[in-house]
Amino acid sequence: MERFQKYYLSLIFLAIYSQISAQANCNIFTEENCRKACEISNQAGEYQGLSLSQLAFDKAIEICPTYDNAYFEKSVPYLKNGDFITWKALIDKAVELNPKEHLGYRAWCGYQFLRDYKGAIQDFDELEKYYPDNLGYSKNGDYNLYVVKAICYSAINQKDKAIQILENLFKTKDNHFGLYDYYQLGVTYFETGKYDKALENFEKQSKVYDFAENIYFRSKVSKIRNKDYLDLKSLALKSYDEGKTMKDAYTHNFNKVYRVQITEL
Amino acid sequence: MMKILYISFLLPILFSCQSEKNVTVYPNQVGDIVFDKNIDNPDFKRCLDKDYGIQYYNNSEGFQYKGEKIAIIRELEKLNLSSSKKINGYITIRFIVNCEGKTGLFRVQQMNDNYLEENLDKDFSVKLLNFTKSLNGWIPIEIRGKKLDYYQYLTYKITNGKVSEILP
Repeated sequence: MERFQKYYLSLIFLAIYSQISAQANCNIFTEENCRKACEISNQAGEYQGLSLSQLAFDKAIEICPTYDNAYFEKSVPYLKNGDFITWKALIDKAVELNPKEHLGYRAWCGYQFLRDYKGAIQDFDELEKYYPDNLGYSKNGDYNLYVVKAICYSAINQKDKAIQILENLFKTKDNHFGLYDYYQLGVTYFETGKYDKALENFEKQSKVYDFAENIYFRSKVSKIRNKDYLDLKSLALKSYDEGKTMKDAYTHNFNKVYRVQITEL
Repeated sequence: MMKILYISFLLPILFSCQSEKNVTVYPNQVGDIVFDKNIDNPDFKRCLDKDYGIQYYNNSEGFQYKGEKIAIIRELEKLNLSSSKKINGYITIRFIVNCEGKTGLFRVQQMNDNYLEENLDKDFSVKLLNFTKSLNGWIPIEIRGKKLDYYQYLTYKITNGKVSEILP
């Protein structure tokens, strides 16, 4: 094979393999067609977005129309590529068939890709009926979904409600703190003018993972209090340039701060 | 490689028993955009001879624009665009960024806040399309030292006739 062709073939595989999704356990199906649909979906999921893959999901749906994962897997490339109309129709079908499994994902994606805060809150409320104490985690693993619910309330300016959700979560025994949890609570306190509580959470965040945005907000609190803030500002910029910022491959994080905003402080 | 061969052989068998049924035709990859001489600028060229379906998120950097997304947000704020109607929903504009950072093959999708297709406001969507076309800070994706064409989109969340957020 020519070097040129080899190079571009590797690109295609890179594009595909960066989108691989998780495999379902097909042995749980007693009905033959649904087990087969599950196996087809598992195979097709490895070639996410390709026509071959989409056709395979159609086949899986045809032989087992109640197999929710086929709708879910088929929906994913539409979400990633900005066709939200098609995505929503498919993910709604998956939720209808298996709400316990897909409500959290639909909520997360509605928030992450479309900032559909109210839609996400509705889904979280519905999900809570199935799982009263544990909503699970965001697809990218960054957040407990209670944190995302709090973010949604914060975004629609119900800051007290957001704070209440986060404080309750943080008090929960065995809570696993996410990468940005204290930061999100800190910013919410900051926005309500409670700078002591904000700083307390930014300090806690710095012990988990101290990134540019978190340092920027500490600097902001210092500036508001007429204290020296320039060292922290410089540190925030340094961290930013070292790549220690809030990152997401597909979208931008809520309460992300951009480099230029730090320079303007 | 064995798996892709497996699925390639599996599918014809799966579909052989339903040759008379309608089968949906999909593009090679979901979201592929094909040149349309009626709407696309013929001067826009892809750098690669084929469409390899590279997406903006296929490298570790994700969304790449000079001055980051906030540069786009601030440019839009300067124009103070709004719809004459109190519409709510989303206008998504998908396009290709070529290896020189130039853009083309723009496609627009409008939906209401129930995620259903709806022409929210034609004039407003044309303004947002023209704004999107005017953006010239896109950074080409580089994978293993090669600059590549890639797909990008911008979604404008519209609240009460104004852009309230730009995504992704």
